[in-house]
Amino acid sequence: MVGYAHSPVTRHAGRPLGAVAVDTARAAIVDAGLEVGQVDGFVTSALFPTAGSHAVVDGESLVSADWLAAHLGTIPRYVAGFQGIGQIPGMVGLAVNAVASGAADYVLLHRALHNPTGRYHGNPMTTVAGAQQWTAPQGFFGPLSMIALPYTEYLQRYRADRDAMAAVLVEARKNGARIPWSYWYKQPLTAEEYRAAPMLSDPIGRFDCDLPVDGVAAFILTSAQRARDLPHRPVYVAGYASSPPPPRRLPLHWPLDDIMTGGAETARRLWDSAGIRPTDVDLPQVYDGFSPFVWFWLEALGFCPVGEAHRFIQDGGIDSDNPTALPALSGGGALGNGRMHGIPQMLECYLQLAGRAGDRQREQATVGVACHSSPHYGGAVAYTSEPG
Amino acid sequence: MTPTPTRPLPVPDEQSAPFWAAAARHILTVARCSACGLYTVPPDQVCPHCRTTDPAFSFEPVSGRGVVRSWTVVRQSFLPGFADQVPFVLVDVELAEQAQLRLIGRLLDGPDTALHAGDPVTVGFEDLADGVAVPAFTLAGPAGGVA
Repeated sequence: MVGYAHSPVTRHAGRPLGAVAVDTARAAIVDAGLEVGQVDGFVTSALFPTAGSHAVVDGESLVSADWLAAHLGTIPRYVAGFQGIGQIPGMVGLAVNAVASGAADYVLLHRALHNPTGRYHGNPMTTVAGAQQWTAPQGFFGPLSMIALPYTEYLQRYRADRDAMAAVLVEARKNGARIPWSYWYKQPLTAEEYRAAPMLSDPIGRFDCDLPVDGVAAFILTSAQRARDLPHRPVYVAGYASSPPPPRRLPLHWPLDDIMTGGAETARRLWDSAGIRPTDVDLPQVYDGFSPFVWFWLEALGFCPVGEAHRFIQDGGIDSDNPTALPALSGGGALGNGRMHGIPQMLECYLQLAGRAGDRQREQATVGVACHSSPHYGGAVAYTSEPG
Repeated sequence: MTPTPTRPLPVPDEQSAPFWAAAARHILTVARCSACGLYTVPPDQVCPHCRTTDPAFSFEPVSGRGVVRSWTVVRQSFLPGFADQVPFVLVDVELAEQAQLRLIGRLLDGPDTALHAGDPVTVGFEDLADGVAVPAFTLAGPAGGVA
């Protein structure tokens, strides 16, 4: 990874998402010391992740790799889009393999996220066909109830208290408040504010959810050999893993056992792919689109024992300001940046391992892991500051 | 003209029609593979247990009994048809017939019902329209809500 760019994260950009993506892509190409014509690979995972009834329009509510290449006015050799869940690890895998195979020399990898007008997940449906006929008539609809169910299971099984999650939000927003492009820049959150926020789908409250935003990030990937001639110290992809197929369930039904069983296999695949162990990782970046994922990922990856993440975090286990703790949300995550869907995790790995984190630069950061989505329905990428 | 939005009504398809027809008569059925005999929620093209591509699922009546594995209190719904129903409880129920056979439905006992993992429930139905009923659950037995 040899360069990047990130747009401001805003509620509504005030310009079309595609135009923001083109600007961000150009900035990333310049940052990598390249010209548009040299970029011969374009990769994304373009999903517009909403349960709402919004129209899906390329260049407006999402930006495909084809759309971006066409609007940059270039003719790439390789264009691909990852179709599964766990968009960031999936598309990093596509980009890495394009470079490794010679299909492309310089790959631009981007993710564009959109916050439509109206309710993000609102859906006025009065009839329902297909898979959702099994759940929507009952009122089981959208991701809040999806994550609330395994969260309740966790709280019950491990006798945990929802109040313990305040420590996750305080940490995410503390770190996000230090990031100039974050929606939450200079806006930390107190535990009292967290607890006072309204409940949405118990035990999920307002601040347990990331905020829908407009934002685009772009990265440039190339081979280690070509990276030597470029201006920035490269960051290396050491390995990646996507989750195994989840068990057959009702739509959006994610029992805790599915999450942790599938997550264990995701972790095994990651360590095998990267040739590292959890103890090698000094920059874990767990996914946090909903706060319970922080607990699930820390446990799935073996950073704390199963059932203990809630105590581990309350005891200061992920405090980014404590050199002996795991800086698991040092990049602010989605809770501290906005709904950038795994980009904050990836970007923090890049910035820290490239030595480009500015005031936030960590003394020791050599091996990072960036997670996305659920441990059983997502994936993770391992990054290193030195070639493997 | 309807004064308030309606809850989404299921549109039965070729595979699901027997399920909704039974539900309308307040009978809970679950898809059962004709090859291996195991239940699946929801049915699929391929049986997730034996992987036959010709499962010929039949919707067979089940006891409607199960235990609560999880729950949530929905306080704002993304479906306008539920706007006047919130708060309501959804329960994740493991049916008695088969391990990990899980359904999600409303708990009809009310939003303030005390719940615990393992509470027994039994199926109930909500009549939404003429000939359309949706499975739901109610707490069953003395253990329900007081354990």
